[in-house]
Parts: sequence; structure tokens; C-alpha cells
Amino acid sequence: MSLHPGSRAQRLLGSDHLAGWVFVLPAAVLIVTFGIVPIAWSAIMSFQANDLVSPPSWVGLANYKALFHDPAFVASVRHTLVYTALFVPLSVAGALLVAWALNRKLRGVRFYRLAIFVPVVTSTVATGIIFLWLLDPVFGLVNFFLGKLGLPQQGFLQDPNQALYCIVAMTMWGWLGFDVIIYLAALQGVPEELMEAASIDGAGKWSSFRNVVLPFLRPATLFLVVWSTISALQLFDEIYVTTRGGPLGSTTVVVFYLYQQAFQFFNGGYAAAIAYVLFLAILAITIVQLKVGGRRIYSNS
Amino acid sequence: MKRVTAGMLTLLLVLAALASAGLVLAGCGSSSAGSSSTPSSSPTGVVHITMWHGDLDYAAKADNALVAEWNKANPNIEVTAVYNGGNDFALQKTLTAIAGGKYPDITYIFGSWAANIVKSPKVVTLNDLIAKDKSFDWNDFWPAERLAATVNGKIVGVPALVDNLAIVYNKKLFDQAGLSYPTAQWTWDDLRAAAKKLTDPAKKQFGWAYPADASEDTVWHWEAMLWDYGGDILTPDNKQATFNSPQGVQALTMLGDMATVDKSVYVDTTNTKIQSTFNNGHIGMLVTGPWDLPGFPDVSFGVQVMPANHQTISGPDNWVLLDNGPERVNAAWQFIKWFTDAKQQMYYDQQTGALPIRQSQQQQPDFKAYLGKYPGTDVFVANMGNATKARPTIPQYSKISGFMGTAIVSVLLGKSDAKTALDQAAQQTNAVLAVPGQ
Repeated sequence: MSLHPGSRAQRLLGSDHLAGWVFVLPAAVLIVTFGIVPIAWSAIMSFQANDLVSPPSWVGLANYKALFHDPAFVASVRHTLVYTALFVPLSVAGALLVAWALNRKLRGVRFYRLAIFVPVVTSTVATGIIFLWLLDPVFGLVNFFLGKLGLPQQGFLQDPNQALYCIVAMTMWGWLGFDVIIYLAALQGVPEELMEAASIDGAGKWSSFRNVVLPFLRPATLFLVVWSTISALQLFDEIYVTTRGGPLGSTTVVVFYLYQQAFQFFNGGYAAAIAYVLFLAILAITIVQLKVGGRRIYSNS
Repeated sequence: MKRVTAGMLTLLLVLAALASAGLVLAGCGSSSAGSSSTPSSSPTGVVHITMWHGDLDYAAKADNALVAEWNKANPNIEVTAVYNGGNDFALQKTLTAIAGGKYPDITYIFGSWAANIVKSPKVVTLNDLIAKDKSFDWNDFWPAERLAATVNGKIVGVPALVDNLAIVYNKKLFDQAGLSYPTAQWTWDDLRAAAKKLTDPAKKQFGWAYPADASEDTVWHWEAMLWDYGGDILTPDNKQATFNSPQGVQALTMLGDMATVDKSVYVDTTNTKIQSTFNNGHIGMLVTGPWDLPGFPDVSFGVQVMPANHQTISGPDNWVLLDNGPERVNAAWQFIKWFTDAKQQMYYDQQTGALPIRQSQQQQPDFKAYLGKYPGTDVFVANMGNATKARPTIPQYSKISGFMGTAIVSVLLGKSDAKTALDQAAQQTNAVLAVPGQ
């Protein structure tokens, strides 16, 4: 083995490199086939007029140019931004509150934790159908109770002015449990002695939460904000199983619009351009979030 | 809550695109590849062909029984029937298979995709085969089927399944309201008045229900009304929208008034709840097709043709033949001709409750037994004669349908009046139709 010390082949075979590459090969093949290749191919497609049946033709930047003059696309961006701006802060703050409440020695706390997490493992289709009926304007339970309380009946998912907010509520219910688990884990990492020291120093409940617990939760918060933002910008399932973008396009978010363009109207190239714009937007937003959030973590630790 | 991400959709999109790209390659090299792939006629002289269908359960059993019968009687042409995994993705799967170079000889394709599939160079247009084959009576198919299978004069497929819309009503609710059942002499005003009488907010009861998710389901219900009022969707040359004609405005105004003035319509913008609501006895009348009837076990229902001129709409699907060389095309043609013949179809319909695709099936000996087995079907069969028009078979139709759907829903929700909404949809439609080369 040591005949040609330093030769490439020897380095490759003799070192851990080969074993390493063999170990990552299956994953690498999968990532290249189902990750890198589609990313590259959809970039190519976004410069084509492609109806998925007949031969594509090159159109340069026409798809991208058309996007910014397409009122339906602009509206879908607006819906996505409104949704994200509501969903991310509400779900992260809500999860912190719930996690704080569940991080105490309560009777039956395991049951509550389970109850909060169950929606996460429930299929979106089931959640969608449950909410469709709960929020039905005529037969729904929610309107029934509103009626009992003497409050006016609402259209909910059937009202173009309310549907998007109903989707926010529905997805929060579905996703809160995941955020809560992350926060619970982080909360349990807060050292007991620091809390004791804080209380000896005369810090009240709020003060010790603000000055001791919150800084400890920053990495978890950063992760949740980044992660929730990415999933919020890619909202699709819940729309697909409930409103299908309606009523009157009021819940048509970017990914649902992409789906419509690709698989209802067979505008493959145009859909790929939408995917790319979304991809770049998510990339940019994530970088900003990590820069801003990361700096704060380091300056505090 | 497992999520479908944008990445997954993009992957699906790319797969679809790869399919079409491969299709192009296959198309370019087809002259050589086509001739080299012919030897499915083995030395024994048996030609093997494959048919993709979307049937399950008793329907698949019926298919298999027919195929077995064929194979027994025709040792020279052996047919294999394969389940395609569901018709919703039949187009993409067929295109992917074509790209891979190994594709079926016969495949089930929704009628609404006729204008898309016809672009594929592997699709066999049937005009010559039909013209040459005196034993095949094309005109025995219902007019709506023939129209839906024809794109720019090219016949894309043989009708595979057919349906139409009629009024299905809850007899008990009519009795309770002291109303007589709908008759064939009904006008639209009669329907409107009955719907109003059947409506009772205290009981959460509605006279009518309308699917309002702005999908094609929203649109085709209204298209039947549009035709009945004497209007049409596009000009005969498919160049201009005409659904915003005075007749169209009249039809949509009527519908809108029922929903917003009379409040007699259960408007389901999610289009998921109408069937169960009707089955629970909260809705007096539906406009729907024969496929819905098995979903109403708890209701004693009757069926009546549409009001006034009885115009209805039909959504026929097709068996599309793909080119695997002349020998296999000929074999596929022989088989599908037999398979869609009146006798075989009568057997299929008896097993499944599907409507007859051929007019001559009404003279089949089993026809009476079939009607007895599926109550309400008699009206739907007779109603096929009222389906004299078809939606335009052009690739832009899905977009146009989207514009019309939005217009209809905005009127149903009281967000717009019929004229404004239809004019806007017509403007968008004309813009799409003006794009050349589609």
C-alpha cells in the first residue's frame, strides 16, 4: 500500500474518503436525481414555452416578464405575503406561550402535550375536511355557536374577505404542535441554577423570563422563524384540500397558482418561472433572516 | 400534516416536461424505431396489444370479462387490460410512457384533454379507419360524443364513457312543501319558484345547490343553462367569446338572483359538500349526472330533464389509439371496435350502471333489465338526445373555463352583476384566443 505514498489513488483508497463517499453515495444519487437535476431542468424550462405535450420553444425571458404583468400572479404574491406575515409571528409566539404553559409540573401534562401534537400527525386531508364542515356557513358548528351567542353569522371559507384568515387559523392549529415541541425542548435546556440565581437576585417571573429564558430560546426561535417562513411561503396542501384557491381567487397563493398554471392550463414554462421566482425569494428571505437572527445570537451568548 | 412542497410540484412539472421532451425525441426517431419495434407479431402470428383503463372493482371485472371473451374468440390478437392507476393522471402517464418508448396501444383519456393529446405525434387519428370500415357505425354514437372526440376535424378517439346533467329531486321535500314534482314542461321560472318554496332557513333547507369553486364543474352546469337560453360559448370558428350575449346575461342573472335575492341556492364554494347535504335531506333539487345517484341511499329521489328546451351538457371520455406500427394499430382498431359495440357495451353497463355510449344499445335485449336495475337511469338515457352541443375542443378551453368560472362565482356571491362579470370574462377569453399557434 505504501509503494506510491502520496499518489491520488492511494490517498483515495487508503484514507477514509472512499468509505465516506460510499456511505453518502445513495443519498447523493437521490439528491442529484430528485434535487439538482429538477432544479437545473426547471431553470431551463422557465425560458421555454412548454405545454408538456408538444415540442418546447425558446422564449428567453418572456415568462419572467409576463409574470410581473400578470395581475393574478401579483395577487397570489400578495396573498402569500399576507399569509406569511400573519402565520409566522402568530404561530411562533403562540407556540412559545403554549410551551411555557406546558413546561410546568401539571397533572396530566403528558395528555396536554399529546393533544397539542396530534394535529401535526393528522393528515392534511382530514384536517381540511374537518375545518370545511366546522366553518360551513350553514351547517357548521362555529356559526351555530355564534348564533347561540347572538353574534352575526359568518361566511368563513366561503367569504372572499375571510377565507385567507381562516386558512391562517386552520394551519396554525395544524402546525402549532411542532413549534411547541421545539420550544419545550429548548425550555428544558434552560439551566435550573440560572433561574434560581435570578430569583435570588430578586428577579420577578416576567423579568427572569425576559432576561434568562428568552436569550436561551433564541436559537430555537431563529430556527422556527426561518422554518415557518419557508413553509408559509410554500403553502399548498391546505389550500388544495379546502378552498382550491377560491372563493374568487382570494386564497390563490403562489404555489397554488404554480399548480394551476402547470397542471390545469399546461403552461409548463410559465409555471417553472413561478417556481424560480419563489425559490429566489425564499433564498433571499432566509439569508436575511439568518444574518439578522444569527448576529443577535452571537452578540448575546 | 405532511406537506407537498413547491419542490415536489416542480419535480412533477419537470417529470412531465421530460416526458414531453422524450416524446419529441421519440417522435424524431420514430421512423426507424417504429419499424424495429413491430415484431410484437411473433413467429406464431399473434399480435399482442395493451389497453390502459381506469376501472376498479366491478367495472374492472366487466372489462376483464370482455377482454377474456375477445382473447378466446380471437387467438391472433391477444389483448392485455392494465389498470392505469386512476384516470386523473392518465394523460401524464400516457405521455411519460410515450417518452419511454413503451406505451399502450389503447389508452383512456378524459374528453377535456382531447385537444391536448392530439398534439402528440403518436396519437392515431381515426378518420381514415372509420371511413374505410363499413362495419363500424360512427354515427351510432351520441352527437355529443362525436363532437367531443373531434378536434379540428380530426377524430381523436372512440367514445368510452358518457354522462349528462338532469334535475335530481328529493320527493319528500316536494311533498312537504305541497309542490308537484318537476315535469318536462317546466320553465326556468317554474324551477326558480319551486326552489324558493323549498327553501326554509329555519330548517337549513335549500331549493337548489350549486358547485361554486370556479372549476369546470361550476362552468359546465351553467353552460347547459346558457345553451338552453339560446346562447353559446364561442363563435362557431372558436375565435371569439359569445357567452356574454344577452342570452348568457339572462341565464346568469337568473342564477344570480336565485342565489342572492331568493337565497334558495346552497352555494358551495369549496364544491365538497353538496352530495352529502342532498343525501341528508337539506336540498330540494340538484342538477347532476348519473354518477351521483349511488351517493343518495337515504333519499327517495326522482329524475327529470332540464327545464324549457331541455338542453343538457355531456362529458364524454375517449379510448385513444397510439401508434405502435401498422399491425398493432390494426389489431387495436379491431379490438376497440368490438369492445365499444352495442352488445359488449350493454354487458358493461349492466355491470356498472354507466350510460349507453351507443344509441343502438336501446334495442339490445338486456336494455330493459338494465333500466330496472338502475332507477333514474331511464331519464338520463333519454336525456342523451338533449345533449346536442359540446364544449369547444380547443387547447385554450381550460383557461376560458377558468375565466367563466370566476364570472359565475362572482355573480353567485353577489360580488358582480352578470353583464359586468361576463363581459370581463369575454375580454380575457378573446385575449387568449388571439394568441396565435395554439
